[in-house]
Amino acid sequence: MTPSTQPSSAPGVNRRDFVKAGLLVGGGIMLGAPAFLRAQTPKADALQVAIVGLGVQGRVLLDAMLGIPGLNFRAVCDIWSFSRTYGQNRLGKAGFKVEAYSDIEDMLAKEKNLDAVIIATPDFWHAPHTTLCLKAGINVYCEKMMSNTIEGARSMVHAMKESGKLCQIGHQRRSNPRYRFALDTLIKKARLPGRLTNANAQWNRAVTPDSGWPKNSELSPDVLKKYGFKDMHQFRNWRWFRDLSGGPISDLGAHQLDIFNWYFQTSPKSVMASGGADYYKGREWYDNVMAIFEYETPEGNVRAFYQVLTTTSAGGGYFEQFMGDEGSVKISENPSISKVYREDRAPDWEKWVDLNYIKKSAAAAAPPAAGKVDVRETAPLVAYEIPIVLDKPLHQPHLENFFSAVRGQGTLNCDAAHAFISEAAIFQVNPAVASRSTYDFKPSDFVA
Amino acid sequence: MKKLFLLIPFFAAALTVRADEALTPLKVEFPPPVLTGTPVPAKLGNLEAPNTKLPPVMVPAGVTNLAKGKKVTSSDPAPVIGDLTLITDGDKESEEGYFVELDRGRQWVQIDLGASAELYAIAVWHYHSQARAYLGMIVQVSDDPEFKKDVKTLFNNDDTNSAGFGVGTSPSYLEKNTGRVIPANKAVARYVRLYSSGNTANELNHYIEVEVFGRPRP
Repeated sequence: MTPSTQPSSAPGVNRRDFVKAGLLVGGGIMLGAPAFLRAQTPKADALQVAIVGLGVQGRVLLDAMLGIPGLNFRAVCDIWSFSRTYGQNRLGKAGFKVEAYSDIEDMLAKEKNLDAVIIATPDFWHAPHTTLCLKAGINVYCEKMMSNTIEGARSMVHAMKESGKLCQIGHQRRSNPRYRFALDTLIKKARLPGRLTNANAQWNRAVTPDSGWPKNSELSPDVLKKYGFKDMHQFRNWRWFRDLSGGPISDLGAHQLDIFNWYFQTSPKSVMASGGADYYKGREWYDNVMAIFEYETPEGNVRAFYQVLTTTSAGGGYFEQFMGDEGSVKISENPSISKVYREDRAPDWEKWVDLNYIKKSAAAAAPPAAGKVDVRETAPLVAYEIPIVLDKPLHQPHLENFFSAVRGQGTLNCDAAHAFISEAAIFQVNPAVASRSTYDFKPSDFVA
Repeated sequence: MKKLFLLIPFFAAALTVRADEALTPLKVEFPPPVLTGTPVPAKLGNLEAPNTKLPPVMVPAGVTNLAKGKKVTSSDPAPVIGDLTLITDGDKESEEGYFVELDRGRQWVQIDLGASAELYAIAVWHYHSQARAYLGMIVQVSDDPEFKKDVKTLFNNDDTNSAGFGVGTSPSYLEKNTGRVIPANKAVARYVRLYSSGNTANELNHYIEVEVFGRPRP
């Protein structure tokens, strides 16, 4: 089980198909046939699947899985009846009669011959739940972060290796055809950025209130305590509590810092960071973090900046940008943000346009009116589009990769061992904020 | 023709009585904005620019939300989560437990106002904690509970005519806390029906609240 380094963009679909699809629809997201029309009735050889955790992320994964043929949903599990009911009803309407459980151990005792469990519980439950399933001989797809502690993440790698079962971690960008194309083709093959020198990424999100809950659906204090929550407020807002999660740098940053590590194909040498719990009352974790990672690559040193802000959506949303001396690749799950920019000193890019690697942007900046040019300004860079279209829910390709691997038809794009190497760096950001000092990574940090 | 002769004097009288009424902008109470979760990219040919300012709906005195607490029926009588009473309970929060989720595909909800009324605006909140657009959104009013006759379409963004009600020219729009206030142009009807065919985030249909602003027929 090693991450695929094949140049293909996603299982079963080659790059040319994606390029062609991208050109057909002009670079925007393609709204394909509804998933419920694409899905097929489970066959005798369908994979037997259960979902643990039917909160916001569990439902996103459920939606994505309903577009994948060959799955038979058997059970849902959540401690909250509201979410359990949701999962059972949602799958019921899709034609699956599933059992509902409030406890994962009860589910595993009663549901025999499961092929895969999808885990989307709060971070601090990832390691115990994943380990339980792997030890029961069941393949696991677990949401990122792997755990709220590095020890928990390590235990997942060990459980995966000892069980011989598959464990995919939900860094879904690793299976996104646009991300794979940008790395394999634009950066590695065509070398459009030239010598990579810097990276910049962010996730800026507007102010959000605390999550509430329907008053007729409260969990009892005993149940909350049994599963590690102080009260209903903490249960619904676990992402902000230090004992339950890693906060925004872990929750949002994990996706994008994983892209740094994946694209640079190495782990950082150091991290310095600043942040604080400055805005929200009653939220324990830092609501804004800015971090600088230093990488040593075969081509030279690279410095990468990352910020996660939860009080403003200004600054262009969420993206990762890889900058070199000849160009830069800006990529996001949002195709409208994804662009490739050419520096004036770069060799001609027409051949890459002819090969459909990139596409001239229709929204190129208009030349300034005569007499309005300030010679002190650098001319805006010429922008190109990445002609790759994902015509599925964002998480579907990563789940497809997982289920293909379960069928023995491929390797995982982000198994627990490789996810750990990437996430090990993320675990050090919050301590760097707290200590207000640079942390120099040790080789042992990346060893599970 | 017989019906026409009966109706014309009635409407003429009504218009005479109300023609010079003072009109003021309709005031709709909006819930606080809440945007959470990962935004899902959307590219639609008829998508309205975000934050497009719409002209106010002008209403006379006496116009109220006639839908509050009224009975709601649906093409999906057993929702995934929530129940149909949430649509007219007066609560517009986007939180868990405040919306009803209907099955995939084209679904409708219908509000029975209890009596035919003069309608000025329909306000609808599908789901406003994520920037998403609802597809195939059609709003109709009628005095026929089956919506087979005397149907008036107030809003239609079904630009491919997938529902068969004609090619819609209304825009798709991104959901937010202000919902959508749709002018009803003094249509007279007892029933309001709203269709949708999923949204840009998933294939499901949601309603937090529908308000129907009008006043009893004179």
